[in-house]
Amino acid sequence: MSLRRIAILLGKELIWGPRNFLFIFAIIIPLVLTLLINLLVGTYFSGKPRLGVTDAGTSAFVAQARSLDGIVLREYGDAAALQDAVTRGAVDLGVVLPAGFDEQLKGDAAATLTVYVYGESLLKNRAILATAITNLIRDLSGQPSPVTIVSETLGDSVTMPWEQRLLPLVVLMTVILGGSMVPATSLVEEKQKRTITAITTTSTSLGELFLAKGILGVLISLTMGIVILVLNGAFGSQPLLLIGLLFLGATLAASFGVLLGALVKDINTLFATIKGIGILLYAPAIIYLFPSIPAWIGRIFPTYYIITPIVEVTQNGATWSAIRLDVGILILLILALMGIVAFITRQARSRPTMLPGIVS
Amino acid sequence: MSQPAIVSENLTYHYGDLVAVDHISFEVGEGEILGFLGPNGAGKSTAVKMLTGQLLPKEGRATLLGQDIAHHAKQIQAQIGVCFELTNLYEPMTAAENLNLFARLFGVRNFNADALLERVGLGGKGKVRVETYSKGMKQRLMVARALINRPRILFLDEPTDGLDPVSSETIRNIIKEAQTNGTTVFLTTHDMVEADKLSNRVAFINKGKIVALDTPYALKQQYGKRALKAELVGANGQLESREIVMDAPDTAAQISRLFAEEKVVTVHSEEATLEDIFIQITGRGLV
Repeated sequence: MSLRRIAILLGKELIWGPRNFLFIFAIIIPLVLTLLINLLVGTYFSGKPRLGVTDAGTSAFVAQARSLDGIVLREYGDAAALQDAVTRGAVDLGVVLPAGFDEQLKGDAAATLTVYVYGESLLKNRAILATAITNLIRDLSGQPSPVTIVSETLGDSVTMPWEQRLLPLVVLMTVILGGSMVPATSLVEEKQKRTITAITTTSTSLGELFLAKGILGVLISLTMGIVILVLNGAFGSQPLLLIGLLFLGATLAASFGVLLGALVKDINTLFATIKGIGILLYAPAIIYLFPSIPAWIGRIFPTYYIITPIVEVTQNGATWSAIRLDVGILILLILALMGIVAFITRQARSRPTMLPGIVS
Repeated sequence: MSQPAIVSENLTYHYGDLVAVDHISFEVGEGEILGFLGPNGAGKSTAVKMLTGQLLPKEGRATLLGQDIAHHAKQIQAQIGVCFELTNLYEPMTAAENLNLFARLFGVRNFNADALLERVGLGGKGKVRVETYSKGMKQRLMVARALINRPRILFLDEPTDGLDPVSSETIRNIIKEAQTNGTTVFLTTHDMVEADKLSNRVAFINKGKIVALDTPYALKQQYGKRALKAELVGANGQLESREIVMDAPDTAAQISRLFAEEKVVTVHSEEATLEDIFIQITGRGLV
């Protein structure tokens, strides 16, 4: 085993790999999914609702709005600037406070408040800001609330919000697309173009080639995993632990990708296989989507041990001691898969039908 | 024969019940060109795969440069060059990038891709993507790739198959040049004329077995018919042809009579070709 040759092959993959459509997919799909979920659920990038305000006088409304935790307040010099900000979507709602607004509230005359609404703002943000504005006005007018609202949660009180349910699927897709699919397609392409035979009849061994493909998968999977967690604001307070978990997950995915690429002869068979086993690969993440499904079912799928420790750390703030059993199983799975890959690599010359396309 | 570069001892391979290579034994000396000839499905490719370390023999052994290929494949592969029948280049890369990649894998220092490309008639084409190359150019590039590590043994599988005469001639010259530099060449080909021109010895393989192995000259002597073919003016003034077998007891008398009694127009010696001999030995053609 030569590290120099592995580095040369890895360099080739990094230079020429990005022209492969699956390489591009592995980077783009997780990003697109994140954006799509953001649009549907409106959580990841939207953050707090943004309120724009311009005050012709010296209303206490501005100071009180500034102290609210649930919204972001942006102040503008005049109504035109505010209008422009709302039109651009820089704020969800814009409020024009006329001079003497506070006095009008306390007096008998009805006060007029002009509110601009950004047409593409999320309904959720509009509702939060409308409620906040109403509460601020009531406080400024000095009137007590005529109603005391007592809230009582019905149904499943432990149900996770959708952004939390979808995060495991996005992270698992990221890890598997980059870790498994990139090395598998790269290997199958080398078989179909017979370049694998040219490489392995030099002093380069099949094991070195497999390792280079596997490292490529780990690099893409790990990098994209980190990017997706950062974009989703899910990195939390234990980034090193999360990077370690992503690395292990990427390693399992890459070992599986190399095994798949070694056993499958052509690209059509590869995609048929991926379609067939896709549901098994993503099953643990699908279970997260439906909390009514008993969580233990996920344990029968190997990818459960990739995603569960990550979810536990990102969403529940779990520490090493809480996830070490699952991580231990993950490490055992990695060793088992690597053992299988090493075994079939040794069989390549004596049982070529086991690894179709290697000898051509 | 000089020190053998390749020794095959009862080399055997079978795919299930189908015996592809059946106990073949031969030696190839250092600096020798061995033509390995046989029809499709005769077992040539399987034999080459075993000799180049791609397949492990089911029985027997092959020794290259004094080492058993079954146990020292990587050490041997570092010293051999293989040119495959089917194109297996990285086509989106340029020719120079292809060669540089393999030079780095072989650990060749100060490798000059342009010089090697020049040698195979691809000078100035180093920065062109291989996908735009013609078949002949790709074949020459594959030969160039097989020469990167200055191999002690060069395996060439149908290197001129389907190529234009210029490309074929370029490749033949490279083979001769390699031999001059001491490289042993194992040449698999359908082209009998090419094998005859280039090979020191030829081996005929049929149904997995080597059925003849010798120099082209010796094979022709052993199996071929030697005759003189004369064209002469017959009694009615028409051209007639007459054949005199060379090895008959009265050959000399026949020749004397021919020139004394007939009006001879032309005389040709008639030699068997390797293809004739192959058909004679195996009862089948090469294709």
